[in-house]
Amino acid sequence: MQIAVLYGTETGNAEMLAEDIADHLSDHVVTVTNLADFAPSEFDPRTLYLIVTSTYGDGELPASAQPFGAAMAAGAPDLTGIQFAVFGLGDSEYPETFNFGGKRLEEMMVAAGATLLGERVTHDASGDDMADDLAYPWAEAVVALAEPALA
Amino acid sequence: MPSVAIFGAGPSGCYVAQALAKARPDADITIFDALPVPYGLVRYGVAADHQGTKGVIRQFERLFERQGIGFQGHVTLGRDVTLDAVRAAYDAVVLATGLSRDRRLGIPGEDLVGVHGSGAVTRAWNGFPGAEAPRMGRRVVVIGNGNVAIDLVRLLAKGASELHGSDILIEPGAGVQDITIVGRSPAEVAKFDPVMLKELARLEGCAITVSDLTGEGKVIEALDSLHGHAPAGSTKRLCFRFGLVPDRILGTERVEGVAFADGTVIAADTVLTAIGFDGEPGWSASDDGLLAPGLYAAGWVRRGPRGTIPENRTDAQAIAARIAADLPEGPGKPGLVMPGATDYAGWQRIDAAERAAAPEGRVRAKITDHARMLTLARQTGER
Repeated sequence: MQIAVLYGTETGNAEMLAEDIADHLSDHVVTVTNLADFAPSEFDPRTLYLIVTSTYGDGELPASAQPFGAAMAAGAPDLTGIQFAVFGLGDSEYPETFNFGGKRLEEMMVAAGATLLGERVTHDASGDDMADDLAYPWAEAVVALAEPALA
Repeated sequence: MPSVAIFGAGPSGCYVAQALAKARPDADITIFDALPVPYGLVRYGVAADHQGTKGVIRQFERLFERQGIGFQGHVTLGRDVTLDAVRAAYDAVVLATGLSRDRRLGIPGEDLVGVHGSGAVTRAWNGFPGAEAPRMGRRVVVIGNGNVAIDLVRLLAKGASELHGSDILIEPGAGVQDITIVGRSPAEVAKFDPVMLKELARLEGCAITVSDLTGEGKVIEALDSLHGHAPAGSTKRLCFRFGLVPDRILGTERVEGVAFADGTVIAADTVLTAIGFDGEPGWSASDDGLLAPGLYAAGWVRRGPRGTIPENRTDAQAIAARIAADLPEGPGKPGLVMPGATDYAGWQRIDAAERAAAPEGRVRAKITDHARMLTLARQTGER
């Protein structure tokens, strides 16, 4: 399967996790791309998109995802037929805006017609779990869901 | 292979190493630190109750554990080795040692007993070796309108149960009743992050009032919604004041209060200043961090003592790109193995000992005795 891991980051935590997920899925053809270097016009229906993003400031997208968010808002692209899933990195020390970054990207993608596979999973930086331990089963489950259409 | 020495294992030094290792996998990179423990301000500056923010350490651990980057601790540049000797031994040298001196108010009374700078207090609360936590009086005035001031206020306002999950062993606000946070500028231009203010709305035993509120914007909205926060059974009070320019600190031996330019006087037993950091880096760097051929500055040494972890990461990446372009190909200078330096395995022993000693409700008990750190770092045997 062709898989693209897209990440939005400020501190590099989401970038590291995106690279780990790509390594974990090495049976597939996987690319890792910063959302800062990705335009909505590049979405391809033959590829599964795994979006990994943190949240910054007052529930905003992390800096590297902001141009993508702005392009999605301005361009109103039609993403019908695009399959994606979202893994968020959050910090429950800030409960009012916990994982808003992932939530925002999911809402933008769905509003543009893309299909969400599975449920958005969030890692809590103030919790006990390691992000990888949550992200690997999530990625495997999403790949299984995408298999009928994309394998 | 070309060799790189980075002085300072704080976030800027680690981010430079991370980006450089990616751009130049052929480079042999060593990070030096004055302490036997790495991570600088992530360990000693980020507040003890913000463990999520300290999570960037997982990225940095990977540098040493998987990416072959060396760590030499307990090495102070200028004391244990000269800059000239380091430059002779490495193809590139990066200074990322930070700036840690508290900026002074420059008003009379600043040296009275009971007046402390935020850097000194934060280090002490974070268990920096040799830093003793000052005793707080009943009435504390915090001067400053940035996120460091909010960190101080929040930790003072929290009760012991609210420090659950942190790595602070003392209760900084024990005995504190009245906290006043004062800014010289109007509230509208305060440098607080709204999210840091909103966090105060979860204080469980501290009532909050906000005075002198003018203007609009996210900070004003956040302050406005804090006003009137009054959990049942509160034993502490926090008051925000704005537009008050400190004129002098009152008292004969000990601080008794703060007098402001407009005649306002606020009584205080303790005054904490949080108006930034300074110090003379002693160098002036270009935008991409170059000081001299093969010598670079990163982080607060280059950009001055401000900016968050993400901002310094962006900066570190730009400096790493410059170094990657400048580094020679092929064999390089030999590097240095400092006698008496501690290594990463030594830090892992300290880390394990701190975690093992964590009391109920805390994630670690930091070792604050430098000699004990060294002993642990130099133990060999089981690993």
